[in-house]
Amino acid sequence: MARQGLDPDVERSTELAGTDRVAIDSALVAEGLALSYPTSDEAVVDCSRLDIPEGAVTALVGPNGSGKSTLLKALSNHIAPDDGTVYLHGESIQSMDQKALARELGHLSQENDSLGSITVEDLAYHGRYPHRGFFDSVTEADREAVERALDLAGVDHLRDAELGQLSGGQKQLAWIAMVLAQDTDVLLLDEPTTFLDLYHQLRVLETIRQLNEEKDVTVAVVLHDISQAARFADYLIALDDGELYDWGPPENVVTEELLADVFDVEAEVRHDPDVRIQPKAALSDESE
Amino acid sequence: MNEQQSSPVHARGSPRGWLTSTLVGFCLVSAVLTVVAGIVQVSFGTYSMTLAQAWNTVFDPAVLFNLDVWNAFLLDGELPEMSTRRTVVWNLRVPRVVVGIIAGATLAISGAIFQAVTRNELASPFVLGVSSGAGFAVLATLVVFSGFAPFLPLIAAMGGTLAFLLVYFIAWKGGTSPVRLVLAGVIVNMVFQSLQQGLFFFAEDLGVVQTAIAWTTGSLTGTGWSEVRIAILPAIVAIVFALAGARQLNVLLLGEQTARSLGMRVERVRFLLSAVAILAASAAISVAGIVGFFGLVVPHIVRNIVGSDYRQLMLGCLFAGPALMVTADVGARLALGGAQMPVGVVTGLLGGPYFLYLMRKQQSMGEL
Repeated sequence: MARQGLDPDVERSTELAGTDRVAIDSALVAEGLALSYPTSDEAVVDCSRLDIPEGAVTALVGPNGSGKSTLLKALSNHIAPDDGTVYLHGESIQSMDQKALARELGHLSQENDSLGSITVEDLAYHGRYPHRGFFDSVTEADREAVERALDLAGVDHLRDAELGQLSGGQKQLAWIAMVLAQDTDVLLLDEPTTFLDLYHQLRVLETIRQLNEEKDVTVAVVLHDISQAARFADYLIALDDGELYDWGPPENVVTEELLADVFDVEAEVRHDPDVRIQPKAALSDESE
Repeated sequence: MNEQQSSPVHARGSPRGWLTSTLVGFCLVSAVLTVVAGIVQVSFGTYSMTLAQAWNTVFDPAVLFNLDVWNAFLLDGELPEMSTRRTVVWNLRVPRVVVGIIAGATLAISGAIFQAVTRNELASPFVLGVSSGAGFAVLATLVVFSGFAPFLPLIAAMGGTLAFLLVYFIAWKGGTSPVRLVLAGVIVNMVFQSLQQGLFFFAEDLGVVQTAIAWTTGSLTGTGWSEVRIAILPAIVAIVFALAGARQLNVLLLGEQTARSLGMRVERVRFLLSAVAILAASAAISVAGIVGFFGLVVPHIVRNIVGSDYRQLMLGCLFAGPALMVTADVGARLALGGAQMPVGVVTGLLGGPYFLYLMRKQQSMGEL
């Protein structure tokens, strides 16, 4: 529905993506983005153009401190860029009403405060916040969205459990149920699988994939593990020291060169046909 | 906490079952306690009567359903002729209980809001300087500008706002932390308390000084319908907004990041809710003075029993505040026989140890 409002510059994304690909509709476009922390003047992220393709799962990868989380915060209007604009379906997010933005774009941050005594279901209902007015009570639509979210996140059986009693993985799924209840077209997730056991990592990723396939939700997710990202995502965005190193489908982006340049790791990359990464050694930290 | 779990599981997909049996029971017990303490308060004193007589006079339909009487009480109209007992009960003792109810409810709610807005379990109107700022403004009005007495809650609110902003300004360093807020509160409190004491020297006669001292410790002595008239409107406004804002407070408790992601304009909501809390505290302070520990402790008591969902907590505070305030005032007025104590002495003596107990029990109190 929002595609007709697209930025005319969209064609440009083909330049970055490679010559053999058609133009891609982008849900989120960042242009001339320069980001820094309030405490320092130095730019943390500096990239001229970044696209999150519509209806696909895009993973942001890069070593610690490469600016992945900062970038995600700018894409969700949590930090104001020093320079540049972020467009959601062609509209600048800085000029959007905050509640209207929250109805279209959900963001789950990396660290969520530990809440003891709230139940999973209550948390999911908070996801309906942008859809409710100050004095509005719970509507049928709210109820349906929460039920769907609990079901999709697979925490239906935990709905009456308090967050304090859950394991880290279950907690993360409860938080994901909350952003799912928000019912947005675009979802940004900051390291949703870090610190989780393998089972819950896969549960989270499967939930995201299911959401993308069934409801055509655009997802951008920061992932710590590049091999996981390569297997899971439709597109990868590799960040190196706050700059866009490369982006495109995993089989194009993940190369031995990338691993050496960005991650300082010597590795063997095979395509059979999935991308497989065999790390070998950490490269010594040469001066750049 | 655990009580919440054992409450009947609501039907799948039903609207939120936050009105748990624990909460309803808690509110009922509080209401009963308020009534019992109120009746005790009404029946004892220089003009004594039996509890039954007190009950009959308080729940006398001839008074309760007499519009002229209420017109006199609430709108300062002409009071119709009444028997001595009715006069003592309705003109002297009942209004004191009503002021206690108002002050108890507003202080409890104010503390609960501040604790969510600052995400700090140690927050209260007192700790954040609001009480002393409002207190200074009220005292200055009483001692120096006595003509402004009808606007006491507004004046108190201005003083409270000023102090609160000062505390925030001092504590601000790219954000605030519980420790810095408490420390800044100590500083601002100290300054305003010195100012309050300085004002005593401008008082014309000793009577005013004594009233002022009683008032700075928080006292319901001598409060009548005129105090009710002063405080009731701001109290009702603050309570309505506090109850309506409960969901906003719940979302704030999810953390600033999450609240923002959900579309909340966090700074604005925080600011507006702080204003509600200041108004609530000011309504209480303008008629009852600075009742120590009350705004800090009552939300903790309620939270321990009914849970930390603010929809529950607010309702719980609305009932528990009056119950505890009226009960404490019974102690303040009747415990020493002849002499009356300020109610703030009682709440301080009981609230301090209770808070100490909480601190010992909960390791992470205030995350200090």
